[in-house]
Amino acid sequence: MKIYMKPIELIAWFTKEGIPHPIKYKIQTEDNSQKVVKILRLLARTEEKIAGNRMYIFKCEGNINGILKIFELKYELNTCKWYLYKI
Amino acid sequence: MFLINKYTKHLIFHIDVNSAYLSWEAASRLQQGDSLDLRTIPSAVGGDPETRHGIILAKSIPAKKFKIQTGETLFSARTKCPDLVIVSPNYPLYRQCSTALKELVQNYSPLIQQYSVDEFFLDFTGMNNLFGNPVDTALKIKEHVKNELGFTVNIGISTNKLLAKMGSELQKPDRVHTLFPEEISKKMWPLPIDELFGVGRATSQKLRDRGIKTIGDLAAQTPAYLERFLKSYGTLIWNYANGRDISPVRNNKTIPVKGMGNSTTLSFDVTNQETAYLILLSLTETVTTRLRDAGFCAGLISVSLKTNGFVFCSHQKKLYSPTDCTSAIHEIACTLFDQLWQGEPLRHLGIRLSELCLNNFYQPSLFEEKLEKQRLLDKTIDTIRSKYGSKAVFRSSFLHSGLSPIMGGVIESEEYPMMSSLL
Repeated sequence: MKIYMKPIELIAWFTKEGIPHPIKYKIQTEDNSQKVVKILRLLARTEEKIAGNRMYIFKCEGNINGILKIFELKYELNTCKWYLYKI
Repeated sequence: MFLINKYTKHLIFHIDVNSAYLSWEAASRLQQGDSLDLRTIPSAVGGDPETRHGIILAKSIPAKKFKIQTGETLFSARTKCPDLVIVSPNYPLYRQCSTALKELVQNYSPLIQQYSVDEFFLDFTGMNNLFGNPVDTALKIKEHVKNELGFTVNIGISTNKLLAKMGSELQKPDRVHTLFPEEISKKMWPLPIDELFGVGRATSQKLRDRGIKTIGDLAAQTPAYLERFLKSYGTLIWNYANGRDISPVRNNKTIPVKGMGNSTTLSFDVTNQETAYLILLSLTETVTTRLRDAGFCAGLISVSLKTNGFVFCSHQKKLYSPTDCTSAIHEIACTLFDQLWQGEPLRHLGIRLSELCLNNFYQPSLFEEKLEKQRLLDKTIDTIRSKYGSKAVFRSSFLHSGLSPIMGGVIESEEYPMMSSLL
């Protein structure tokens, strides 16, 4: 996996405890078209506090161009922004 | 490694972030997906030369090899190292990192003192019953910070705050050092005199002139001799050189404030009185808001300025009756400014209030203007500003002046932990 770190649009559901579970995201590809990727499986969730900035990291599996791929999403609690972190 | 009876006295940790501003910026950039770690290349955090805040605030360890020093101008740093990467300071980030570090450190002792934005004292006395060996715990804290927050710290361990602080300065980065009284002669005395806490440019010059070059030399003097040219400060640093200090780890809330000040370096040279008055007013606004917030009145007002030739001077006035009123303080500041200013172009202006006393009892003077209404107005303005933001109301004199109505402070109108010369 390589670090990508691009902002994405994302749909998620939240548990009563406030933990988000990503469902699908939309990203702008290099040829300027929009692409939607569904999250098929959530493998792990970790939290980091680098430089005091809290972020959740989700390790997910999804179907990208017909291939099952593992990628990581980041959710920044402070700004409520989602990123495609690693792919 | 160490005998337990060594720890029956006080045990103090000093935790110091390595090149704080730069490490924090680097960690934050890595988290945001930057592939470059600023700490591995010659880099520095520096002000913005456009607004003339052009000095180096922190530097990376590779930048140290180019002999780049904190406080020098960006221009001279670039001459020493043309490839130097310079990033602008980000004070909200630093406060966020500082708060995160404080929360983490609080897990290890109930008594901690934030000494500056990147330094903490931790009283570990008795905590070894819970955590075990202090050195192992310090190593654990260091790793905990590195893994969780993404930056490195130095930790000094000793029996008092002074030695703990000296210990954390020994070798950087990412180290734990002990500096117990029996180690002073080996670890602290060979160091040059300027390394000692409390010995700055002026004192070290005086000591060097008299052949005192190392901390060990200073420790070997008699206090009577030092007092001849340093007064009571001589005894203080002589005690420091011998590793003696009894200041307790203070809970930050109990530190008595002695004075409050605000100053600003301007983006242009001020050449007329009117602009200078406005700048003083905007500085007064900030500092008096803080003064009223803390519940004080000031009995001494001082104004300082720096000309474009870097000549610094200041002037002060004692008041018959202490006040916390913005207009009254501004008026006196302007009088002081007029007495001080010779008409040179100015690059820096500052105001400082001291001789603070509580404001719950206010004694008006028969011979002065009645300030009751003014005080009520100030109170109302403060309330509006705290509710709707510092720029919700401002004086019309700032309209079209191009000046900010509220000036001074790193994060305007918010508290930011500053350095102190008191342990």
